[in-house]
Amino acid sequence: MSETAYKAMKDLPALHLLAGGTPMCAGCGGLEAVRLFHDILGENTVFVNAAGCMTLLATYPHTPFRGSWIYTAMASAPAGAQGIRDALDVLIAKGRLRPQDDLHVVVLTGDGAANGIGLSSTSGAIDRGLDFYYLCYDNEGYGNTGQQSSAATPHGAQSATEYRPAGVAGEKKDLFSIWVAHRPAYAATISADEPVDLARKLERAKGLRGPKLFIALAPCPTGWHFEPRETVHLARLAVKSGLWPLREYVDGQVRHTRPPAPAGKRPPVEEYLRLQGRFAHLFKPQRNEAVLADIQGAVDVYWEHAA
Amino acid sequence: MYRIRFHGRGGQGVKTASRILGSAFFAEGYEVQDAPRYGAERRGAPIFAYVRAQLSAIHERGVIARPDLVVVIDETLLPLPAAGVLAGVTEHTVLLLNAARLPELPEGPRPGQIVLMPELGEVAARGGLPLVAAACAGAAARLTGVVSGASVRQAVADELSALGAEILEHNLELALSAYHRMDDHTGTVQEGEAPAPSRLAPPNWIALPQVDVQHAVAAIFHGATSARVHTGLWRTERPVINPAACKHCWWVCTTFCPDGVIGVTAEGVPEIDYDHCKGCLVCLAQCPSHAIEAVLEREAGAVAAAASAQGAS
Amino acid sequence: MRKLMTGNEAAAWGVRLAEVDYVPAFPITPQTEIIERLSEWSATGEAACRLVMLESEHSMLTAAGTAAATGVRTFTATSSQGLLYAMEMLYTTPGWRAPFVLVNVSRGLASPITLEPDHNDVLAARDSGFLQLHAATCQEVLDLVLLAFRMGEDATVRLPVIVNLDGFYLSFTREPVQVPDMEAARAFLPPYDARALHFRAGEPSAQGVAVLGGAPYSYFRYETHLAARAGLAAFAAGARDFAQRFGRVYRPVETYRCEDAEFAFVMMGAFATKAKSAVDGLRAEGWRIGLVRPVMLRPWPDEELAQALRGLRGVVVVDQNLAPGHGGVLHGDVLATLYQAGVPGPVVAAFVGGLGGRDIALEEFAEMARVVRTAADAGKSPPARMLYTAEELRQTRALQAVALGGGV
Repeated sequence: MSETAYKAMKDLPALHLLAGGTPMCAGCGGLEAVRLFHDILGENTVFVNAAGCMTLLATYPHTPFRGSWIYTAMASAPAGAQGIRDALDVLIAKGRLRPQDDLHVVVLTGDGAANGIGLSSTSGAIDRGLDFYYLCYDNEGYGNTGQQSSAATPHGAQSATEYRPAGVAGEKKDLFSIWVAHRPAYAATISADEPVDLARKLERAKGLRGPKLFIALAPCPTGWHFEPRETVHLARLAVKSGLWPLREYVDGQVRHTRPPAPAGKRPPVEEYLRLQGRFAHLFKPQRNEAVLADIQGAVDVYWEHAA
Repeated sequence: MYRIRFHGRGGQGVKTASRILGSAFFAEGYEVQDAPRYGAERRGAPIFAYVRAQLSAIHERGVIARPDLVVVIDETLLPLPAAGVLAGVTEHTVLLLNAARLPELPEGPRPGQIVLMPELGEVAARGGLPLVAAACAGAAARLTGVVSGASVRQAVADELSALGAEILEHNLELALSAYHRMDDHTGTVQEGEAPAPSRLAPPNWIALPQVDVQHAVAAIFHGATSARVHTGLWRTERPVINPAACKHCWWVCTTFCPDGVIGVTAEGVPEIDYDHCKGCLVCLAQCPSHAIEAVLEREAGAVAAAASAQGAS
Repeated sequence: MRKLMTGNEAAAWGVRLAEVDYVPAFPITPQTEIIERLSEWSATGEAACRLVMLESEHSMLTAAGTAAATGVRTFTATSSQGLLYAMEMLYTTPGWRAPFVLVNVSRGLASPITLEPDHNDVLAARDSGFLQLHAATCQEVLDLVLLAFRMGEDATVRLPVIVNLDGFYLSFTREPVQVPDMEAARAFLPPYDARALHFRAGEPSAQGVAVLGGAPYSYFRYETHLAARAGLAAFAAGARDFAQRFGRVYRPVETYRCEDAEFAFVMMGAFATKAKSAVDGLRAEGWRIGLVRPVMLRPWPDEELAQALRGLRGVVVVDQNLAPGHGGVLHGDVLATLYQAGVPGPVVAAFVGGLGGRDIALEEFAEMARVVRTAADAGKSPPARMLYTAEELRQTRALQAVALGGGV
């Protein structure tokens, strides 16, 4: 990325478009991504929300957005974006809206809806080449209802519906690759601790027409059981340990924007896991070496192949 | 019927307190109804829970309008109208306050009697450990005069044994110690009567007018109205910037603040908006020069004054 | 222009004349022909709409709702299982107060699955907040689509509207239809003005937001109800204007030969025209009998219906739907209206028939008339009956014999 307005954190917008007073939990990792999205896309943005934690962002009569918002349903936010995008296009085509008064259309969804009930609607929208942004705040569970397992809950984690001693047996669904298989205009994973990476990705995506994915790892103090102050620290450990690869798909290629240090030099995943209550069973009353080795092994294999 | 409300913040064990008291009444042979009530807001936000108990079947349901006892787990809620701590209290109502000394009560209805419970440790009860809950339930049980210590013990065990023997033991100790600290007040809380229908004021029904669609739709026609919601009230600890230590790298704390409520002055000094800061302390954890410290909210006034004096010097 | 066309084509013509901006679509029998025709016209430019195929009816209704909420005139269509699949959004979008028109081509619901019509699908949407108009002829399909836009977009209403037509009996049946010319249609239905309810740069708004607590929730729900009730006056005003411009008269409740009637059939939809032919036959033999047909199901035209039923000795309600464990939906609603309005006296004979495309024969209309007359003479409403003949049972038994492995 050669030309960018965002070389360092200093370059990020100092004025925030998302107002305070939201009902999100203290330390919500997803909120930062939403805010940066709003800051960088600007006021001429409409967010189309799928049921999840962020449903409550706008609770009558309070909205934090300086742009617009509509709540649709859990399954069909991308279709909601379709209706708005098409309507705006029709209005512009018929001369009833000036092109400069157009809006960015952003789907806002949690990982539960993104990987499950909303996947058909998402696939349909990508397939139709809908010009929209898709922001998934991935807190790895149905956070709004108390952190039940979703398809994005990672291997080994416990949740409100997963109490087995080894935690979730399956693997986190790879939503990024599902998107990439659709050949969208753009896809990226982002993290709360890497706001510059996020800003540059969004800056690049702004220049592209079509479906644009962003999955933000969203550490969740309430659902993952950690101190709210650790949100950014955890997000950083997820990236530095290699657990959360920061990826970008553009022009048919996937690349890593912030690869971790090589094996042996990067922090072990344990450093990330042991700060969270949802992984406490892997350490107490005794260490579950098998699951810890599974998780570390999957990370090492991933980066071996990525290299 | 006993009608008892517990008021606290999300994460302080308000629901647990109501369940322990409910279970204790039940162990005593009472018919019981207990329930938490929460809205959209999260940890730190005001919530309440309630317990009804009587020896015959309970037909009432929903929020308690005329409490016999109001247990206040977090005294900082008292001045907040939204918390509704004193809603419906009368001469008949007893107020049990988790506080060492009597705070100033806001304007409005007054309870007939106020009982103080000495400090019980960290109010925030972080990590989901409902320390205060068990104690408040134990004290409330004793105030009724009809619940035995044995029933309280059984109730705490019923509700908390899943948390492990160590936590259970600690809570039992707290609950029973609080129970016995109320020995002098036992029987203070009396069962309230249901009001006679003829004495109830008519409900003032109206025929709703049909209005213009903009006034008839659940939509908001203005941006950033959430600024009117003072989520600063959720805070139990506040981050305070030490101006002497701050290196003015404002882009760090303003960006990492999840709620985006750290602004920057024209001079490039970061400034925390305490009306909206929820007290997550991400800024404290991320500040490169460790210029932010956490101060208990109840002590914040004095510290803020000291800090500004220091900044001015 | 007067030409032969199916009910589906008539619906498409209504959309074309309404100069709809946007049509999110999804195929389902027997509705598909509507969107195929609109797609064709959209491509040739004969219709000024953009048609987009969605991947489900749930998504289709969502897109229709958000497009309307953005401020464009929107149309969509479905049927049966599709309507049920979209049901979440059917209940959701009326609260947005963003009007659009949905044509439902009635078809019976699974299980068992069928392609043929009855009204259980559209009645499942009865309490969704959509207003509902029910067509009985292909002409009415076209006219009611125009009237639906006019009513739904009225400033006092601002609600989505379903126009219902029966599968097969209207959808695939050609009848002569008078097609208004574009200029006249445009004069009847001026461009949609969304006013403040839209998405525009520089005008931040949040739509479809959550509320906390029963007081605001009840307020917005009550206002939706008041808006739906305002549909009665808006329909009447639209229908007056329509009659002046096009000469065809619509009322919320159609009455046919009821002037001096002792008895009346109460029916909705296409089979109500069969009741008209039964009425003609019975009248020729001296019966004083007529037809009362609710064209409008929501808002429920209770006063008009009570007025139409006043003075009758007996009412025959024919429900083309079945609420298992209860009976016919229309039956209950008619009884409630009679009782609430204090209409004295008529006995009510309730019949369920016409399920899954089953015919209701002239013989059956005649018999229903005899049943209600006997009941009226006795002064007592008869037990409800599900229309079924011995011959039908014989046919079904023959199918069962194969299904059960016999007779092989």
